[in-house]
Amino acid sequence: MARYCDGDASAFRELYAAVSPRLYGYLVKMARHRSLADDLLQQTFLKVHRARAAYVRGADPVPWIYAIAHRTFIDETRKVKRAIVRVADGDDLPEVGADIAGRTAGSVDEPADPTLVKEALDALAQLPEQQREAVVLTKLDGKSVAEAAEIAGTTVGAMKVRAHRGYEALRKLLRGRANQEVG
Amino acid sequence: MSHDPLDELAALPPSAPPPLAAALETELDALRPVATRRPVRQLVMLVAVSLIYGAGILAIVTTRRDASELPMGWMVGAGLGWLFGFVIPCHLAMVPRTGTVMPRWRLAAIAATITAIGFVMLGALIHPSGPSSTQYGAEHFARGHACLEIGLATAVVPIVLGTIFLRGALPVGSRWIAAALGAGGGSLGGLVLHLHCHVTDVLHVSLVHGGVVVVAALLAAAMVPRAADVR
Repeated sequence: MARYCDGDASAFRELYAAVSPRLYGYLVKMARHRSLADDLLQQTFLKVHRARAAYVRGADPVPWIYAIAHRTFIDETRKVKRAIVRVADGDDLPEVGADIAGRTAGSVDEPADPTLVKEALDALAQLPEQQREAVVLTKLDGKSVAEAAEIAGTTVGAMKVRAHRGYEALRKLLRGRANQEVG
Repeated sequence: MSHDPLDELAALPPSAPPPLAAALETELDALRPVATRRPVRQLVMLVAVSLIYGAGILAIVTTRRDASELPMGWMVGAGLGWLFGFVIPCHLAMVPRTGTVMPRWRLAAIAATITAIGFVMLGALIHPSGPSSTQYGAEHFARGHACLEIGLATAVVPIVLGTIFLRGALPVGSRWIAAALGAGGGSLGGLVLHLHCHVTDVLHVSLVHGGVVVVAALLAAAMVPRAADVR
């Protein structure tokens, strides 16, 4: 980030390559619409670029970038009034995953079960926005509760409650689906 | 293999992000070095410029005529209280924790609340007067608007400077950061009033001098986030 602020454009590309895959995953799970997530990701990095003078040298830029993405998502969903967009088509699900090295889900040792992934995504989409974000950040994105609270601009206590309630609601939804299938 | 849908979802590798947008590529082509934020230096600058500005306002409106008649301990103690009420919220609003970019909005929120309530309470509890002091009382309470105006005029500089320095640094918690800047600016206004105003009745000291902090915090919370936002 410091090199980028010093005018090195390749450093920005490195930053984008390092941060955008996870950030994109977060935005896809929040927006539930791949094209909206694409747009939010670009808006986020454009804002980061325009606000780069606000960076403090030596600081970790990732929570700040996530917080900008969080803010951008909130502003956008308020603007278009679609906090939760349910799309039935599979093209909006993050099935084609790739890490920084370009490995996709198909290349990992234990490929994810598409049915289970779809179940989880559908259940996730039914959660209220704040609970969804708490689950995405803490459970799926591997952030600590403190990091998630910083990103979402809330207290650690409130984030714990949101994550717990979201997780419980998700379990209930998934159990309900499983029972329906058995029935 | 796990059969928990959430674990399956968590185990998915990150999605492939889209390539950089054309607008961003264009901006990168013209990339120039920028001076990054130096929070401590900016805080020192904000405090120094604001104090000079406050001293200038005090020189224009003149010091209070009853200053020598009031207890020295109260004059100094309350003056230091106002000064800390200015510096501490501004510090919390401007300077992030080491290793982070975003200021500490939770602590700033606490500081803004304590400052706003604290100075209203302080004015209500302690308001000594001397023979040259004036009492407006409830009957002429509205005449205190001049003090409110002086206090808010003093608060403008730290709020504007803080907004400029924090541009782009507040994606979350911006209203509380703004409130802390406002409370800090309002406290500087309170300090100027403490050294200028010879009206010593409880309503005036509490609700007008203390009220400057509340009003400045509320106005800043309403206006600063938009100005500090990057679009």
